Amino acid sequence: MAYFKLPAGVRDVLPEECMALEGAEEVLRLKFRGEGFLPVRTAGLEYYDTFAGIRSAVEQSQMFKMTDRDGKLIVLRPDMTLAAARIAATKLGSERAKLYYFSNIYDFSAGGNSEREVAQAGVEIFGEEGAASDACAVAFAAECLKAVGVEDFIIDIGHVGFYKGLLEGSGLSEEAAEEIRGYINAKDAVNTEIALKAHGASAKAQAAILALPSLFGGAQVLSEAEKLTDNPLALSSLSHLKKVYAQLKERGAEKYVSFDLGTVKSLAYYSGMVFTGLAAGAGAPVLSGGRYDGLCAQFGKNLAAVGFAIGLSRALGAVKKGGKAQC
Amino acid sequence: MLNVALAKGRLADSCADIFIRCGIRAQILKEETRKLVLETPDKKFRFFFVKPADVPTYVEYGIADVGVAGKDTLLEAGADLYEMLDLGFEKCKLCVAGAPEMRAMLKKPRLRVATKYVETAKKLYYSRGEDVEIIPLHGSIELAPLTGLSDVIFDIVQSGGTLRANGLEVLEEVFDISARLVANKVRLKTKAEEILPLIAEMKKYVGEGR
Repeated sequence: MAYFKLPAGVRDVLPEECMALEGAEEVLRLKFRGEGFLPVRTAGLEYYDTFAGIRSAVEQSQMFKMTDRDGKLIVLRPDMTLAAARIAATKLGSERAKLYYFSNIYDFSAGGNSEREVAQAGVEIFGEEGAASDACAVAFAAECLKAVGVEDFIIDIGHVGFYKGLLEGSGLSEEAAEEIRGYINAKDAVNTEIALKAHGASAKAQAAILALPSLFGGAQVLSEAEKLTDNPLALSSLSHLKKVYAQLKERGAEKYVSFDLGTVKSLAYYSGMVFTGLAAGAGAPVLSGGRYDGLCAQFGKNLAAVGFAIGLSRALGAVKKGGKAQC
Repeated sequence: MLNVALAKGRLADSCADIFIRCGIRAQILKEETRKLVLETPDKKFRFFFVKPADVPTYVEYGIADVGVAGKDTLLEAGADLYEMLDLGFEKCKLCVAGAPEMRAMLKKPRLRVATKYVETAKKLYYSRGEDVEIIPLHGSIELAPLTGLSDVIFDIVQSGGTLRANGLEVLEEVFDISARLVANKVRLKTKAEEILPLIAEMKKYVGEGR
């Protein structure tokens, strides 16, 4: 009878919760359609090489792998953005596309605070670039969280270009940069400093990179950060975020927004602005997104792209606990 | 109200001193009690007493907004947290230790390493590409090389007294350890107005640590 149970990290969703999930999906479907997004359902099984062959954020250890009849390695869909980018680049034949999806993704390595089967609702905008498009994505993300009933939340914005800019001329190898990125994401100033010294980063880069973990808060951090560097890429990243913020102000969405230049998501995947939805009732992010302009080109067609996905269970968890979350 | 996870014992005492100096009414932490949850009289702080190794868990899940844990615990837990401040106390080192004659044999194939820091030891030797046998223990680690259970041990060393008393010595210092203030990744932003002033205040009192 042991096999009537479930493997670790997955669960059945029973009627009460399922009704809530479907309710949220219906609300979001209307919102997505209203903004002109079209639905896609991507294949649940994909070739391992699709995710391993291109520079992607999906680690080998995160994928559920199986061998197909012809001996090729296949995986259970580990990421929706990659799947949507593959479709936009290879199947739609258009320079612009706005897609939405409701899909599960699978994470082999998850456990504890995260599940191995994650129900996501997401949108991807292809063929639009610039601050206006980024602001549009952030404002829409905030609207979507409100629509499903998450009240007390912020959208925390960063930019991978700022860290990339600081790395230029720092003398750090790609490997060292990746190690240090991990420390910065943990706001671990102690190890950041040790690693910078051990890898022999230039003094200027050291000072700027060491400041990263504390560069978070309101829009004023963008001006603070400007004083740290004269690298053109880093400075243009900051001025881009300022433009995004100005646009968000025009839309009246600035109250949902904070900045964190120390949130450095995978450099292999994201190309510009990145953002994370943080809700008071949830201990982990409920939404994640960003700009990934280089990704479609790896599937053969160069399309600018920005998008985000909501983790539905976590978002609904934040709704349920909303009232007493601050206890 | 800010929820703080603390490890009961010496670490909690040192924390209480810093909190009191920061103007937090944390005198309750000094009182002898069996309660697991304590609140300051002004209801601004609530403290949870947990096992040291559980501090990262309470903070990662967001049950506690912040917590204080040793770097050794954080390395071992590998939790997804913000490490905000080196508090500079409870200093020690994670070391490889053993009998003096083992110094020349540290690179021998299939070295047997006894430790309670299993994950950290795995990561360390994996990153060096060394093939070792990790032997998990829960206490009295120094006994392992004495009895022949292991070749060396991987453990925290404070004064080195226990090592010396058993004819062992530090063969390699691997990590510097001290107490760290950690924060939940979401709460740092959604409760910034409570957490950031606390960190700023604590920073003033940990001068020599960092």
